[in-house]
Amino acid sequence: MAQPIIQLKDVRLTLSSRAGPVDILRGISLEVGRGEAIAVVGPSGSGKTSLLMVVAGLERATSGEVRVAGRDLSALDEDALALVRGAEIGIVFQSFHLVPTMTALENVALPLELAGHKSASAVAREHLKEVGLGHRLDHFPAQLSGGEQQRVALARALAPRPKLILADEPTGNLDGKTGRQVVDLMLGLQRRREATLLLVTHEERLAADCERTIRMADGQIVSDQQAAAA
Amino acid sequence: MSTEMLAPPAPGGGIALTRVVMLAMRELRSGLRGFYIFIACVALGVMVITGVGALSDALRGGFERQGEAILGGDVTFGRMHVRAAGREREWLAAQGRMSETATLRAMARRADGEEQALVEIKAVDEHYPLAGEVRVGGAASLEQALRSGAGAVADPILLERLRLKTGDPMMIGEAEVMVRAAITSVPDAIADRLTYGPRVFVSLETLEKTGLVQPGTLVRWRYALKLPDGAGEDPAALEAFRERAKAALAEAGFTIADRRDPSPQVSRTLERLRQFLTFLGLTALLVGGVGVANAVATFIDRRRKVIATMKSLGATSRIVLAVFLVQVLAMTAVGVLAGLGLGLAVPAVLNVLYGDVLPIRAEITVSAASLVTGAAYGILVALLFTLWPLGRAELVSASVLFRDEVAPERVRPRALIVGLTLAVAAALIVFAVAMSDSKRIALYFCLGLIVVFAIFSALGTALTWAARKVKRPRVPELALAIGNIGAPGGLTRSVVLSLGAGLSLLVAVALADAALVAELTSRIPLQSPDYFVLDIPKADYPGIASLVSREAPGARLEDAPMLRGRLVKLNGTNVEEVKAPPEAQWVLAGDRGLTYAEDVPAGSKVVAGEWWPEDYAGEPLVSFESELAGKLGLKIGDTVTVNVLGRNLTARITNLREVKWETLALNFVMVFSPGTLKSAPYNLLATISLPKETTLETEARLARVLGKTYTSITVIRVKDAIDAFKVVFTKVMIAVRAAGSVTLLAGALVLAGALATAQRRRILEAVILKTLGATRRRILAAHLAEYLMLAATTAIVAVILGSLAAWIAVARVMEIEFVFSWRPVVEALALAVGCVALFGGIGTWAVLRARPVPYLRSE
Repeated sequence: MAQPIIQLKDVRLTLSSRAGPVDILRGISLEVGRGEAIAVVGPSGSGKTSLLMVVAGLERATSGEVRVAGRDLSALDEDALALVRGAEIGIVFQSFHLVPTMTALENVALPLELAGHKSASAVAREHLKEVGLGHRLDHFPAQLSGGEQQRVALARALAPRPKLILADEPTGNLDGKTGRQVVDLMLGLQRRREATLLLVTHEERLAADCERTIRMADGQIVSDQQAAAA
Repeated sequence: MSTEMLAPPAPGGGIALTRVVMLAMRELRSGLRGFYIFIACVALGVMVITGVGALSDALRGGFERQGEAILGGDVTFGRMHVRAAGREREWLAAQGRMSETATLRAMARRADGEEQALVEIKAVDEHYPLAGEVRVGGAASLEQALRSGAGAVADPILLERLRLKTGDPMMIGEAEVMVRAAITSVPDAIADRLTYGPRVFVSLETLEKTGLVQPGTLVRWRYALKLPDGAGEDPAALEAFRERAKAALAEAGFTIADRRDPSPQVSRTLERLRQFLTFLGLTALLVGGVGVANAVATFIDRRRKVIATMKSLGATSRIVLAVFLVQVLAMTAVGVLAGLGLGLAVPAVLNVLYGDVLPIRAEITVSAASLVTGAAYGILVALLFTLWPLGRAELVSASVLFRDEVAPERVRPRALIVGLTLAVAAALIVFAVAMSDSKRIALYFCLGLIVVFAIFSALGTALTWAARKVKRPRVPELALAIGNIGAPGGLTRSVVLSLGAGLSLLVAVALADAALVAELTSRIPLQSPDYFVLDIPKADYPGIASLVSREAPGARLEDAPMLRGRLVKLNGTNVEEVKAPPEAQWVLAGDRGLTYAEDVPAGSKVVAGEWWPEDYAGEPLVSFESELAGKLGLKIGDTVTVNVLGRNLTARITNLREVKWETLALNFVMVFSPGTLKSAPYNLLATISLPKETTLETEARLARVLGKTYTSITVIRVKDAIDAFKVVFTKVMIAVRAAGSVTLLAGALVLAGALATAQRRRILEAVILKTLGATRRRILAAHLAEYLMLAATTAIVAVILGSLAAWIAVARVMEIEFVFSWRPVVEALALAVGCVALFGGIGTWAVLRARPVPYLRSE
């Protein structure tokens, strides 16, 4: 197997709270290969989103080793982490997190512009067409439905052609049918791009579409299963 | 279920007020968070208005309580030129204990004639002072110091200037006097006129020896009375006494003052300053109003779901409005009370810090009027800025519960609320105008404020619009900055409005100040003569003229006969009954210089009527200054009566003159026809204009020789007089600038509030940017670009508006040439940029430090 895109070794995350320190992640070790689609499932509070945040470099592990695309994230400062995200990682959130003051096109062009991409606008337009929003380019987030906003967020995450796509409950704020459409779109794009997808969800049906499913409980991985070959 | 809950609602779908208050108080359980800026904005403005009022009350209180000492008795009678004698004197002496004093300007010289200085002589009798005490250095009392031979006591500064010490001789007029002591404090200093020189006390007998008092000399005689049986402490008895005095001394031409208001001029000046500073406080309050509006709008936005829930449970729009209005009023009350408390502390704090600089000891007393004024302005401004957002609150639909609107539509409140807002604005204007002596200026000020607010409001809208329309720049930092400027609910409008209004005022005040200082220090001295020479006996004039041309060849000497007299009647009506606008009251208040002339005086031109013929010898005629005539309602053919040398003299206005006062050339409000005053004993007033190349040595020698040769004349260097005025002017401008700066502080508060409101959105935005690969430097650059664009645009417009306002005030109202100076503008701009940088910087620092995860997990 080629070098894994995600390598976690005994990762622990402890946060302080008024009631004392809380162990969020308790010794996670995990390897994810390139091109894999992997689902992380588990009950609320099991540490799924925290795991995703640690992989994104948005949360620093208290101990253990976090390597993404061959880089040791614990050795990087905040700005270097931002540059890694800009180059390697695309993130899709449950709450979409679009910049409200920008149109759909501007939101998608933003990571490309930050990376100094020459034809950011044209690339963004293509991606919006790809997610079926070619007619909504100049709409602001507030003028879009939830499903449309999540498709803009998906286009934004994929526009810089990241090697790793992180999705945190991407259907959490959508109805079943719309959620299904968004996930189908995401999986399709991931496969076409041969990117890696780490999908945090609590919906077993969505997890079933991924090749591998990790189950978490109480900050630990309790099972790691490959889906039966289709 | 209680029966209360089943009770039918009150008529009109409302509920009892107590229930509304209860609901409101429940709503406030979440604390004052989000209201701090609201409270601070109201408190700040109310503090300034109350502080100014309280300070004025304290000074006035000091005036009233120390009135007897300030006046030197219960009542005083003052008059120029003519000493009371005969029947007048008998009448005055019969009214109680009497003290006589004479004040005049003169030159004091070293006995060797080497140094001389302009002094204010105060000659007193043995009864002076009837109240209070003149403190002199050393063990001697004033009485001992003045009565032992020709003694004098002088301000220490004079001794320093003439290099004299106690026991040294000093020349005043023709007399040699002994300096017995230095003055430590004088009780009645403010009741005297504005003094240009240090004081010297001598006895009346010594004054006679000086030979300075001649017919026509500019000497002011004052008679202080201590009334018997404590009549001075009873206002009714004082009033009755004044009436009696007016009847008994009808034509004497005395200016009468009593202990209730020992110096009407000082009181008037204080009142004028109070009104002006109150306007500045009102401006600060209005600028803060933007912060109040923002705070309420944000509060309502956060409460939309609560409002929707209330509506879904049966609350009518009126109930919603009432509940939130009660909360806003409660917050207003907190702000007003805090402002009143802080404002009341202002006199005490100033007394501790600057007690010795204040003209009198401030007595800490506060009038109900000051409290009511501060509170009324606070409540009216709070209502003006909260009714609109409250009106939008009552329109929130219950359907908000079912669909989460990301960006609520702008909704215009119902007509009633719009009407109420306009009514409050009108009430505010009416209140401001009613509280002001000069209704016209108050109205202009209000209109000016409306224009400034309208302009910056429009600028805010225009900037937002332009930011949305402009083609998105390729540089993401710039694109983000422009996006934020155009963002709905962004900072743009409130920052532009509050900062712009505050900055405009500051620029206007700073520029007007700079223009006036420039006028005082460079322009007036350039155009004006170098010396005024007072009290030249007619016989001495030819000698003086030849001395001047000998000592300073090329010097220009101009002269005019000069007496002082008081206007007592306009068209037969006593001036006390004439309702003059505040800016013209000074003409009626004190003594005026009077002259006569055969030709139109230089520096003035006749704009209406005809100048009298050269050999005119008919009834008394007078030429009146045209602008003042207009303000006093005088026209050609009207009569004015002046009391001069204790006699009333009535003259008919035959022409009006336009006068260029700023040249300081010899000019008078009233110039009489030659026959009118020619026979009166008068002295001459002259000006000396020295050639440009005159050296300081020549100038000093001329002044010295003049003073030595002609001991009765008084030589005033114009530059010194201007400097003396500048000292007073600078003190006043410090107060004005301090009050003006509060407006910018209010602007800064609004800015801080707006930034705090937007902080969550900004952090979220920064976090998103970080997830998309933006470094902190780039986020910082985006914020910097946004603040810079906002501050620069606002500042440019503020400088233009401020300059325009300063130009109107200086060039049009004061009719002084307006000189634009960069320094105050740059200072004001630096202050504005500093404010934005400080508050924006604090905000951005918090944004950059924020941990992303809590914001990304849920909104």
